[in-house]
Amino acid sequence: MVKIVTDSLSDIPDQLAQELGISIVPLNVHFGTETYRDRVDISTDEFYRKLQTSEVFPTTSAPPPGVFVELFTKLAKETDEILAIMTSSKISAICESALQGKDMVDARCHIAVIDSLQILAGQMFVVIVAAKAAREGANLEQISDMVRKAIPKAHVRGALATLEYLKRGGRIGKAQAFLGSLLKVTPILGFIDGEAHPIARVRSWAQGTDFLVNFVKGFPKIEELAIEDATTPDEAEILAERLSDIFPKERMHRTKFSPVLGAHLGPGALIVSVLEGE
Amino acid sequence: MKQVFSCSGQELLDMMAVGSSWLEKSAPDINAINVFPVPDGDTGTNMLLTMRSVMEEADRASDDSVSAVAKAMAYGALMGARGNSGVILSQIFRGLAKGLEGKESFDGKDWAEALVQASHAAYQGLSQPVEGTILTVIRDVSTSAEAAAQANPADLTCVAEAAVEAAKNSVARTPLLLPVLREAGVVDAGGQGLYVLLEGALHYLRGETEEMQYRKPQMVTADLPLSSKAAQLVAEPEEPYGYCTNFLVEGQKLNPDKIRHRLEGKGQSLIVTGDDTNVRVHIHTYDPGAILKYVISLGTLHQIQIQNMDDQHVGFVEMQQERLPTADIAVVAVASGSGLREVFQSLGVAAVVPGGQTMNPSVREVLQTVESVPSQKVILLPNNKNIILTASQVQPLTDKEVVVVPTKTIPQGIAALLSFSYEGALEEAAQAMEEAIATVKTVEVTKAVRSTQIKGLKVRKGQAIGIVDDEDLVAAGDSITDVLFEALDKVGIESVEVVTLYYGADVEAAQAEEIIQEIGNKYPEKQVELIRGGQPHYNYIVSLE
Repeated sequence: MVKIVTDSLSDIPDQLAQELGISIVPLNVHFGTETYRDRVDISTDEFYRKLQTSEVFPTTSAPPPGVFVELFTKLAKETDEILAIMTSSKISAICESALQGKDMVDARCHIAVIDSLQILAGQMFVVIVAAKAAREGANLEQISDMVRKAIPKAHVRGALATLEYLKRGGRIGKAQAFLGSLLKVTPILGFIDGEAHPIARVRSWAQGTDFLVNFVKGFPKIEELAIEDATTPDEAEILAERLSDIFPKERMHRTKFSPVLGAHLGPGALIVSVLEGE
Repeated sequence: MKQVFSCSGQELLDMMAVGSSWLEKSAPDINAINVFPVPDGDTGTNMLLTMRSVMEEADRASDDSVSAVAKAMAYGALMGARGNSGVILSQIFRGLAKGLEGKESFDGKDWAEALVQASHAAYQGLSQPVEGTILTVIRDVSTSAEAAAQANPADLTCVAEAAVEAAKNSVARTPLLLPVLREAGVVDAGGQGLYVLLEGALHYLRGETEEMQYRKPQMVTADLPLSSKAAQLVAEPEEPYGYCTNFLVEGQKLNPDKIRHRLEGKGQSLIVTGDDTNVRVHIHTYDPGAILKYVISLGTLHQIQIQNMDDQHVGFVEMQQERLPTADIAVVAVASGSGLREVFQSLGVAAVVPGGQTMNPSVREVLQTVESVPSQKVILLPNNKNIILTASQVQPLTDKEVVVVPTKTIPQGIAALLSFSYEGALEEAAQAMEEAIATVKTVEVTKAVRSTQIKGLKVRKGQAIGIVDDEDLVAAGDSITDVLFEALDKVGIESVEVVTLYYGADVEAAQAEEIIQEIGNKYPEKQVELIRGGQPHYNYIVSLE
């Protein structure tokens, strides 16, 4: 069976990852000289507590190629085909790191690394597609093909409570257009072609959540739906409730976005992701 | 100064340790210039932490041979690499280890060979190598080191000196190769880090570690065309820059060396990289046509970019002044008052035409502004009833596509601008903006210029009047504040979420503060905002969304 590998920016809940046999490589979060592995050494709650109290702004980084060498070598003992689906190479070095790790593995195992051009639940959807196909016995080539077809069908939108974190974190991409606004705005970001894009600006948080609801309503057929928050489960619940007449609530993925992303999006962000149906 | 000819494994370790502490001093400066691939300001830190892991492992080398130490370093880099530059640095150490494999000690020639291996490894490791980065620097370093080793194969110091010199020059040239650096006016951070590391190592070889305590690595200055100012001052004829030409050739059995050889002498800053199926070429030439004619015979061309460097030069100057987001649709707004102009600019308009009530801009003024913005598609926001017609005269006079979104007030213009979509075509964008006009109500408070009577409302000259959506006179009186609140009541403030008060040039900030507080107290559910509009004529403009 093909083993599926991804990274912690896919926000796949531990339980689901276990069920589907997905290996998750954590990214690192740094507060000054202290380094934590995303959700391994630091929980989501601890992270946001630190984010609000720490004097230094956290930075994030991709794990070194060696981590992939170790993981791939270990998995190669159990399988002869591995597929790693990584966060968009346009915002993280992790894809490059995985590619280099792959080159250094000394085992008779076919390893493929795919740049998902996605992040958050957009990446999660693609990984789920791959893991389910692997479980049903598809081979590496077939799964890679399915993943490539699924990538453009995943859509991510987020309403940010503040632009402050994105500005400080630097990974703002084209969302730069949002900076410097003299009016208070709630920015709506999308993740398009592998990076953050400005989608819209609304004048209040209520209009922001309306935007997310309308975004989901715009899809004629929805295969998967995810709602992500960090420290605002009540907001996420209200949104889930509002979307429940479009998509069954019990099938919605409800997760917390990774602290690595929290460092850039800020704790108040609310993210909705859709995998379009056929 | 001493001249070192050969080094043991322990000396390699010490040399890199000195390089690493030299890098440590420079890390904050390197962080500050980090703009590529993501401007997250951590390149210096990432390289330093990668080096720490390198040094930790070096201590655990199996024996004192150069081979064992270099191998341990490569392992340390592999396990400790952080960020993009760290990952490339780990490839460099991998190459060094390969070059030094099996050696007890190393001399100048060995070091040059190791650097060549390092350069190969760095390029091979990346799926999409980008020039103008640490990659270019390691390649230039290896080329110079190789040349120096041919002259003095035994002299390690001499090779290391050539390497540092080449690194410095290469770093200075990075902005010429990578536009994002040029735009930011910085050199590549990763390249700078590598230079500092090599320079530190050289200080060790020269036995200058004592002096280093009181010194700090220098940041390399960008070798941009702009820095030739001094030459211009003495009125030397300005050299034309020619065309910066970049492309990728895809084909079979390509020979990068042969291509490089053929293109040499046809221009400057020539870079040819790649393998037998993909070759990337970068050259500054006066005749890009001749270059393309030659390469088209070898295979298919991709990602062709030809830029007039004189434009780049001008572009750089402009970029230094202000970096506005570029879009293929530009929005031009009409507004007066420094505060309002800033609001529009902060929301991303390409230009503001000065004008408004009682001072309508001419068609020529609007046309000139439309012509000046760097987009072929322009959306105009007149923001005044009397300017809509002027704005609609512009289209037949220009080659650009111009759409007027008929905004009659400043709040309508801002609402329209906020709903500007970054995706989609001109017509759709304009449509969405026009729809947004209906989502906002405007209250303007000004002084009556003559006595009149409208819909039973008597107004004396000089009295304050409240107007809704630039049409309906709803309140009049002697007190500006009373008129404002009366108008807000009549417009139905209950149903809105956001109230923004723009106060005019004749209003004191403190007065406006009082009013916004009163609005906040009266309607605690609303999100209220106070902005200095600085507009003439209107004491207050209120936006209700």
